[in-house]
Amino acid sequence: MQREVGTLPLAPALRARLAAAGFQTAQELLDTGPCGLSKEIGISREEALEALQVVRQECHGDTARAAGGSGATRKCTALELLEEEQTQGFIITFCSALDNILGGGVQLTKITEICGAPGVGKTQLCMQLAVDVQIPECFGGVAGEAVFIDTEGSFMVDRVVDIAAACVQHCHLIAEAQPEEDHGKALETFSVENILSHIYCFRCRDYTELLAQVYLLPEFLAEHSKVRLVVIDGIAFPFRHDFEDLALRTRLLNGLAQQLIITANEHRAAVVLTNQMTTRIGQSQSTLVPALGESWGHAATVRLIFHWDNTQRLATLYKSPSQKESTIAYEITPHGFRDVQPPAGTASTEGTEPNPRKRPRTEEEKQQ
Amino acid sequence: MAAKKLRRAQLSQEMCERLSRYQITTCQDFLCLSLLELMKVTGQSYHEVQKLLCKVSRACAPKMQTAYEMKLRKSVNPSSAFLSTTLHSLDRVLHGGVPCGSLTEITSPPGCGKTQFCIMLSVLATLPVSMGGLDGAVIYIDTESAFSAERLIEIAANRFPAYYDSDEKLLCMTRSIHLYRELTCCSVLKRIMSLEEDIILKKVKLVIIDSVASVVRKEFDTKLQGNLAERSNFLNRGASVLKYLAEEFTIPVILTNQITTALSSGPGLRADLVSPADDLSLSEGSSVSGKRDSGYVTAALGNTWSHSVNTRLILQYHDLPTRQLLVAKSPVAPFSTFFYTIEKSGLILQGLLTFFKLWYSTVRISPDRKDQTNLVWEGTNPALQPIRVRNTALKDTLHDAALPSTTGETSRNTSNL
Repeated sequence: MQREVGTLPLAPALRARLAAAGFQTAQELLDTGPCGLSKEIGISREEALEALQVVRQECHGDTARAAGGSGATRKCTALELLEEEQTQGFIITFCSALDNILGGGVQLTKITEICGAPGVGKTQLCMQLAVDVQIPECFGGVAGEAVFIDTEGSFMVDRVVDIAAACVQHCHLIAEAQPEEDHGKALETFSVENILSHIYCFRCRDYTELLAQVYLLPEFLAEHSKVRLVVIDGIAFPFRHDFEDLALRTRLLNGLAQQLIITANEHRAAVVLTNQMTTRIGQSQSTLVPALGESWGHAATVRLIFHWDNTQRLATLYKSPSQKESTIAYEITPHGFRDVQPPAGTASTEGTEPNPRKRPRTEEEKQQ
Repeated sequence: MAAKKLRRAQLSQEMCERLSRYQITTCQDFLCLSLLELMKVTGQSYHEVQKLLCKVSRACAPKMQTAYEMKLRKSVNPSSAFLSTTLHSLDRVLHGGVPCGSLTEITSPPGCGKTQFCIMLSVLATLPVSMGGLDGAVIYIDTESAFSAERLIEIAANRFPAYYDSDEKLLCMTRSIHLYRELTCCSVLKRIMSLEEDIILKKVKLVIIDSVASVVRKEFDTKLQGNLAERSNFLNRGASVLKYLAEEFTIPVILTNQITTALSSGPGLRADLVSPADDLSLSEGSSVSGKRDSGYVTAALGNTWSHSVNTRLILQYHDLPTRQLLVAKSPVAPFSTFFYTIEKSGLILQGLLTFFKLWYSTVRISPDRKDQTNLVWEGTNPALQPIRVRNTALKDTLHDAALPSTTGETSRNTSNL
């Protein structure tokens, strides 16, 4: 109630007039009443009433927050947080090595960034996650939907169909191997068409559309409350050309990151961003670093860097609050993102995935 | 929709006038401001400004479609999703051919067949749909003056003799290929920007730019300060316009690129990120394995450009007259390699027979398995993939372990045709 007038979310002109008239706290305004206010500062009664309603709402919100109720800021003990984290689901990537170093998979309510050289598999992983987020709970998934914001035009529906078919087949095999009650019911609705219809795609052509889409994201997520994954494939691409004003770019990127963090927390969704690599010219040599500058490195909670080692694809966990830095190898098979299989000859224990490593991939290619 | 004017975003007239006093006329200007700045310029309260923000965002946000709708749309018209190259093995690996709606890049050393490939694809695009073409016109932007109309007719007449049986048909085909000669970066960019109208007017179904690298490398010297950033800017801008055109009209866009020498001590990577350049056993063409300060040949235009193209095909020398085609980057295909030669009718894929004479001299392979050269090789970073160039000691290359990973896989390549 003692809140200063200057901090209230009123129109600037109105605030200036209130300050000029000598009002200092919100309580004073409320005591004056709409008629008195309109006479003192020379605005209409309706405008005064509107302003007072805003003030009342703000103050009510303040007191509620002060009493520890729900609001924009949350307050809880570390124990509650621990319990929450332990029951929280992860979005698995089907590559057990990657899931292990991430501590179970892609975490909900956190921003994960994937940087990598061209062609290394960033979009493949994103498409894999968009399918994996929909795995029913009885199979260990989070049973959510996915939003895919594509800025580079690399989203290929045919590839998603392949990945989804492999995932459905995998679940069928699990259900056969260890049948449980819910499996049958879950499998009825878990089909390729269903998976595809729960991936919401947006194609943003430049950074303005991307900004607009992120502003509208809370509204969209409120309508589609089952969304548990937001993928932005190519956050670097729209910001890397036509930007002379780097300060503006940093500000816009930080604003984006803030909004994504808020969205991730409010809707319990995982946010996955992909980034490009750029060459930084040093004195004696140049290095390949993630694009968008140093300050962007702070935006993501978890950072993965995908790179090549000759012909082997590697993933390095570069930044994480709870897991240690490590590197693993992975493969891109016709079924999607997978572990590196041991050489042919060792029997695969699950028998679910055909051994893709040594067999030429062309044989696995789906006939069109 | 960045340049969309605010009055079309359904803001009130007076609001638009007020904003234009602060030079805020487009959606882009509006969305770039922070909330406090917006409150200042609009004179509205916090909540009002948020509502305005949503209104403006709605005006320029993209439309939502589910993956299912995208798939349905594609399956309704499957033939329009690819341009078949009539190189059957390549088409199979690429799930149909050169994809429509994305950028495909063809990189090679000089004389390997880039322009030949482009000319061949131009012929294919003009064919009717029943023959695997796109039944449309072609826009060919030529920066090196390498396009030859005579060769165009030769390829058409020899590749499809049954279809092009009269001169009229050939001339009709040539009428639908529109050639633009652009010799500077600026004019290329201008031409790309104006393509939208041409595409609608002339019913264009294929855009070819041969080659991007030649104009860019002429004008930007990356050793000079600031040129690298300028070059990236130009390339990114061009790439985004081309992507927009490709997606909007669902047509393939083909670009050609040149090669450059990358020094292995040059773009060295950080210690924890291993550089493929350090292991020169991968660069088949380079004969200086072990020497750390030598270079290897790879695609030009740098790392950022490799991000922008969706598919990258590399043509390189194998031994005269055979050349090799590598699928180095593709969202739908694994790394694959094919052998081909350039004949009168364009590119022809080579069969196993020719190359495994050394290994299977007694095996007779039936002629209809001609183009089964679907060898798998273990590729690497498409931006750093070494490319073999023509070298003078051709005799030696014939007996090299030239074919990558040929262990065991070859016997399994009896894939059903």
